[in-house]
Amino acid sequence: MSKKIAVQIDDLTVAYNYKPVLWDIDLEIPEGVLMAIVGPNGAGKSTLIKSVLGILKPIAGSVSIYGKPYEKQRSLVAYVPQKGSVDWDFPTTALDVVMMGTYGSLGWIKRPTQKEKKAALEALEKVGMLPFKNRQISQLSGGQQQRIFLARALVQNASIYFMDEPFQGVDASTEIAIINILKALRKAGKTVIVVHHDLQTVPEYFDWVTFLNVKKIATGPVKDIFNDDNLTKTYGINYKVSIQE
Amino acid sequence: MSSAQIEIQLIASLVAISCAIPGTFLVLRKMAMISDAISHSILPGIVIGFFITQDLNSPLLILLAAITGIITVILVEYIQKTGLVKEDTAIGLVFPILFSIGVILIAKNANDVHLDVDAVLLGELAFAPFDRLLISGIDIGPKSLWVIGFILLITIGLLFAFFKELKVSTFDPGLAASLGFSPAIIHYGLMTVSSVTTVGAFDAVGAILVVALMIAPAATAYLLTTDLKRMLIYAIGFGVLSAITGYWLAHYLDASIAGSITTVLGLVFLMVYLFAPNKGVIAVLYREKQQRTEVSLLTFLLHLKNHNEESERHVNHLNEHINWQKVRSKSVLDLALKNNMIQLDDNIVSLTEKGDEFTSQAIDYIITNEDAQIEDMKDDFFLFRG
Ligand SMILES: Nc1ncnc2c1ncn2[C@@H]1O[C@H](COP(=O)(O)OP(=O)(O)OP(=O)(O)O)[C@@H](O)[C@H]1O
Ligand SMILES: [Mg+2]
Repeated sequence: MSKKIAVQIDDLTVAYNYKPVLWDIDLEIPEGVLMAIVGPNGAGKSTLIKSVLGILKPIAGSVSIYGKPYEKQRSLVAYVPQKGSVDWDFPTTALDVVMMGTYGSLGWIKRPTQKEKKAALEALEKVGMLPFKNRQISQLSGGQQQRIFLARALVQNASIYFMDEPFQGVDASTEIAIINILKALRKAGKTVIVVHHDLQTVPEYFDWVTFLNVKKIATGPVKDIFNDDNLTKTYGINYKVSIQE
Repeated sequence: MSSAQIEIQLIASLVAISCAIPGTFLVLRKMAMISDAISHSILPGIVIGFFITQDLNSPLLILLAAITGIITVILVEYIQKTGLVKEDTAIGLVFPILFSIGVILIAKNANDVHLDVDAVLLGELAFAPFDRLLISGIDIGPKSLWVIGFILLITIGLLFAFFKELKVSTFDPGLAASLGFSPAIIHYGLMTVSSVTTVGAFDAVGAILVVALMIAPAATAYLLTTDLKRMLIYAIGFGVLSAITGYWLAHYLDASIAGSITTVLGLVFLMVYLFAPNKGVIAVLYREKQQRTEVSLLTFLLHLKNHNEESERHVNHLNEHINWQKVRSKSVLDLALKNNMIQLDDNIVSLTEKGDEFTSQAIDYIITNEDAQIEDMKDDFFLFRG
């Protein structure tokens, strides 16, 4: 069975200040997978996502979403940035942040209406954050802020979701809540790409995995390639994960 | 009030509003320093523009100066991108150079240029009403009023049109970029507005007041609200208030108007910094004290809940058991009594029903940390407010 390719990355090289942090990445992400990107700190995981989403300009290579450049496919893609990348003291509420997910479909100048507000409220409900809708975002706990970001991605109603460490700093119950939402997305035929740090949970949560450390080490189904060999190649040290069958 | 006085206040107020709008976003983007850089480095643009036009209010001059402002921003970013120095260093490198080029240009041509460095830094609001705009011989008001009024109209128009874009790109530039709202376009748009406003305002109020009017009202507003629209409105309010108060202060003290307005801006900020309800210094200190007391209260209630034996609950021995000083025990006891959490029979303290329930709830909260459940408790109990 050959699946459609949701995201195709060819010969991608990205640099900050002319120092490459991603070298010649080739990557195909099939439609409908729930994929983990794993690699040590500074491996370029966030950089990879940002380059796919046109936030960074690569110095070489190309990216396509369902065969077309990202600029033409924006509405198909949603993004959850790393939580630390924004200023949580910004004067705004949880609801307002989630509404930002609707801005893409609105385009320039047009303002959100009741319709967008309703969608945002529904997304807040899905992540269990409705009671906090009017809370200033700095007054939310780390896990709640993460849920708000997730709600904002949900409201984008995309086909492909890129999430940068959505489990960062969340407790066990929030982690379960989030992974259930991700699994529901996959079930609905969406493609979900998640930067993930907890190697123990990779086999349980994901069906696809990419090992990354400046170069692409390996990519494929978790059951085929999630092994000590690839982990050692990625993390440099002799890595042993005991996976309970 | 004479018409000149009214005109001066009107100009100062319009300048305050035009500055507060971009200023709010500069403060939120932590770019306050860049307004300082722009306001100084536009000097060469102004001087060259003045050589060409011989008119401080000519649109060409404003355009040239605004371009110098943008060049400043680009230079700062370029130097920063090399990764050799940080942003503040880059700013500190660029604007003194451009500013001194302006100063040298003025000095070299001092004889035939009616322009001096003092005027550039401090402006002269008092003279603004004398430079009139005449259209076919009819006086339609001070020139600077028209200039700043026009700039303000454009600024407000842009703000209304691009409010959502400004908000998202300020809060989360990554998301903005992924949604197709180029943060670079918005960034340079904001820089252009800041530059044009600075140029338009500086003739009347000078470079220092422009910076003060951009940053101080926004910084003050930031302490008072958690809503971007309100922050804009408050910033505008503080700007106008300070402009008018500062004008009258100058009037009575016979001092520089720009200097007085800047002083008022500083005072207003200081007051809010001290007394703001949530983020103010005093509120923060009070809240900390309150939280200490409430932790004590809870400890005390827990002690009562855990001990049935009367010896542990005798008023006179409480301090020994919980290991507190007398004063502290007394104030906690009073607080608990005042809230009907405890009752006293014969100097033996025991929990009331309300106290018992409250204690259980509080324990639940502390253990589960489930925020949603105690949402309504938050309002009357400090301890749980983040
Ligand atoms: N804005 C920047 N300027 C310069 N270098 C950067 C910048 N952002 C990231 N880098 C560098 O690029 C490399 C990759 O960074 P990236 O953030 O993509 O790593 P990551 O895999 O997401 O790491 P983490 O697990 O810590 O989030 C790192 O060496 C980092 O220092
Ligand atoms: Mg990262």
